[in-house]
Amino acid sequence: MSAPLTHLDLLEAESVHIFREAAAQFRRPVLLYSIGKDSTVLLHLARKAFYPAVPPFPLLHVDTTWKFRDMIAFRDRTVRQLGLDLIVHINAEGAASGVNPIDYPPSVYTDVMKTRALRQALDAHEFDAAFGGARRDEEASRAKERIFSFRSEGHRWDPRRQRPEMWRHLNGRLGPGETVRVFPLSNWTEKDVWIYIARERLDVVPLYFAAERPTIERNGRLLVLDDDRMPLRQDEAVRPRQVRFRTLGCWPLTAAIESSAADLDGVIDETLSARVSERQGRLIDHDEAGAMERKKQDGYF
Amino acid sequence: MNALAGFGDVREHRAATRRRAPAVRRVSADVEPQRAGALHVLTCGSVDDGKSTLIGRLLFDAGAVHADQTLALEKSARTGAGTLDFSLLVDGLVAEREQGITIDVAWRYFDTSARRLVIIDGPGHEQYTRNMATGASHADVAILLVDARDGVKVQTRRHAAILDLMGVDRVVLAVNKMDLADWSQARFQAVERDFLALANRFGFREAIAIPVSAALGDNVARRSASMPWHAGPLLLDHLNSVPARQTRAGGDLRFPVQTVIRAGHDFRGLAGTVTSGKIERGGEVIDAVSGQRARIKRIATMGRDLESASAGQAVVLQLDTDIDVSRGAVLAAPGAAPAAVRSFEARLVWLSDQPFRPDRGYLLRTATDLVPVSSLEIAAHLDLDELTERPATTCVANDIAVARVNLGRSAVVERYAQQRDTGSFVLVDAVTGASVAGGVVAQTHAPESQQPSEAFRLTRSLLKQGVGADLGHDAASERELRRRADEVAILLRGAGVAVEIEDRQEAAGMDAATVWLGILAALSFGYAAAIVFGIV
Repeated sequence: MSAPLTHLDLLEAESVHIFREAAAQFRRPVLLYSIGKDSTVLLHLARKAFYPAVPPFPLLHVDTTWKFRDMIAFRDRTVRQLGLDLIVHINAEGAASGVNPIDYPPSVYTDVMKTRALRQALDAHEFDAAFGGARRDEEASRAKERIFSFRSEGHRWDPRRQRPEMWRHLNGRLGPGETVRVFPLSNWTEKDVWIYIARERLDVVPLYFAAERPTIERNGRLLVLDDDRMPLRQDEAVRPRQVRFRTLGCWPLTAAIESSAADLDGVIDETLSARVSERQGRLIDHDEAGAMERKKQDGYF
Repeated sequence: MNALAGFGDVREHRAATRRRAPAVRRVSADVEPQRAGALHVLTCGSVDDGKSTLIGRLLFDAGAVHADQTLALEKSARTGAGTLDFSLLVDGLVAEREQGITIDVAWRYFDTSARRLVIIDGPGHEQYTRNMATGASHADVAILLVDARDGVKVQTRRHAAILDLMGVDRVVLAVNKMDLADWSQARFQAVERDFLALANRFGFREAIAIPVSAALGDNVARRSASMPWHAGPLLLDHLNSVPARQTRAGGDLRFPVQTVIRAGHDFRGLAGTVTSGKIERGGEVIDAVSGQRARIKRIATMGRDLESASAGQAVVLQLDTDIDVSRGAVLAAPGAAPAAVRSFEARLVWLSDQPFRPDRGYLLRTATDLVPVSSLEIAAHLDLDELTERPATTCVANDIAVARVNLGRSAVVERYAQQRDTGSFVLVDAVTGASVAGGVVAQTHAPESQQPSEAFRLTRSLLKQGVGADLGHDAASERELRRRADEVAILLRGAGVAVEIEDRQEAAGMDAATVWLGILAALSFGYAAAIVFGIV
């Protein structure tokens, strides 16, 4: 009577399995909620994993104070609707000393407002495991990432300390000083994420859909102006363009793409025929060769 | 070609959206829905055989390479032959080049016209055994790569032996660099003959050879004009047609319990993934360790309850009676339950750079249980070059050992040949937490046939007076007592004292089925030994 399990059914089951393994093995997990499409799927899967109970861990959002306003509104709405426990953490020191994505190089800004902020929050709450939405298909250096990714003291990712993972057996026994990042979406691709969002009828931040937005072109990339904190350069003019985002982050560092995909179907069509890899829109990754890997070693996701 | 044209879920979604909003655009609805599950493909071979080039070629020909990557590829240096260097698509960590990751398995995902392919690549040189074994534990099929000019080598034989050990029973020999072997049919046939002779020594379900040129693309996704004599399948077509393990039905029910979910005042559910067989509402299940039985009252998932759930599905089970079952238990059908064992024979691949030490504390990570190991006895190593066993007592990285594992308490493990998830394990260092070895169960011992052990016996009364003095008598206290007992066993083991923990339902839990299964297990020992030594 039952229909055969589809590829997405199996991916979903695997992620649910991972959530349960982590919740059973770690003392104090937290879900890193970054508001984007991957986080949306991650949160949905967490709810499925513990149904009919609510997920036995809080959400943590590391706020850089430069997220799109739409993202913050979406975050607050989601948490309210689902009755979840959200921790918002801002690196107060960094914010006070005025570290921002406009005057500082992306590597410095990311280190202070994201990497260090995350470490502060994890340490302050003594979380021993943090769920993240990273996928192995996102970037070459993530192709070898584990589902349980171990961090030694100081949250450093040491390639030599990573544990081989065999079968479905996830070994979460912590060594002295160790914490873990858990990636339930490891085996998902960008296509899977979008098709799943459609299948489960999940709400996502409207910035993923094309609309006319005020943009400037800088260094060959389109930026959407979300507020007036970024001074324009001489030759720059604000122009309305029909754009959307493939990934979401801090608005001065996230490039938009010109697109007419105004709904989920349009986005899926576009994703299916995508000719450019997903993270091209992330300016921080282009900073230098091996950028992502270096960030990871420092404790960035 | 639309890379995702046949993706079943796309169509599902299309159907759903059409019901909601008739005006939406449709893509790829003209293609037959394909339900082939994702296929996990392990690639084995060295850089010299052109493995990275073959993987890069598969990605490229399946249309899975983005324009920005293609551009980078075109800007990069050409190969000696002047073709694009497809191996550059399979680049990895900076650290891999600079310092070397210990166990190194790279995952690539792409869609063909028929299904999702997951390429599992364990780039390995001298460390290939542990990389390959790790990758093989996830694989449905393996591509063994050889250079047409070299043919089947000792390395190919080693690879085949590891695949056999890990239960990968479908193997493709990609005879690469045919362009450098004058596209010679005679050469291919000679290699094929050697390969099939080799494959016959193992228990593979399917073994085929395909002549290819990864650099030029011949017989990968495109039929070769240079090898018109090849009537067999193209590599990509073959991968599109192989059945995935996850969608193979059948087998006895196994439901390893991951965690207990409580909601409200009256909901207590057992969360887990069905690893084999099928579970049905109203059906009776038994906990293999305690022998307790109950019926399935409800199979819950968010959104809707199910009438049944089969292998691969993650669900929550509500039972009609509240038996004391928690993480680590394995539910099965009463007539076909596994035995709880305290000792078994295993084949294990040593993964850690730290060699085996008899005085060190180890834990056994089974499907969902974590069990203190009272002793581990290495008996022999498998010699992959000679395909024989030779006596040994030590174990270092990349060794494949024949070992006896004695557990500090009863747990469910069974033969790998019968059950993948409950027949495999990871050996964990109790102090560092590292995964030091991965293994498969070759043979379990019926509890009554186990020799009287010299281990120190941690009785329940002893535990209750000592580390459990503050605990009560409810189920939660019982679980906490067991957890503390495990830790005590680990500590004592680390101090050189082997420990056995008294099971609560030790006597009562041994029902007729369990005893009978134990006898069956003993009888099948000869058969298992034949399989193990059959590779000689």
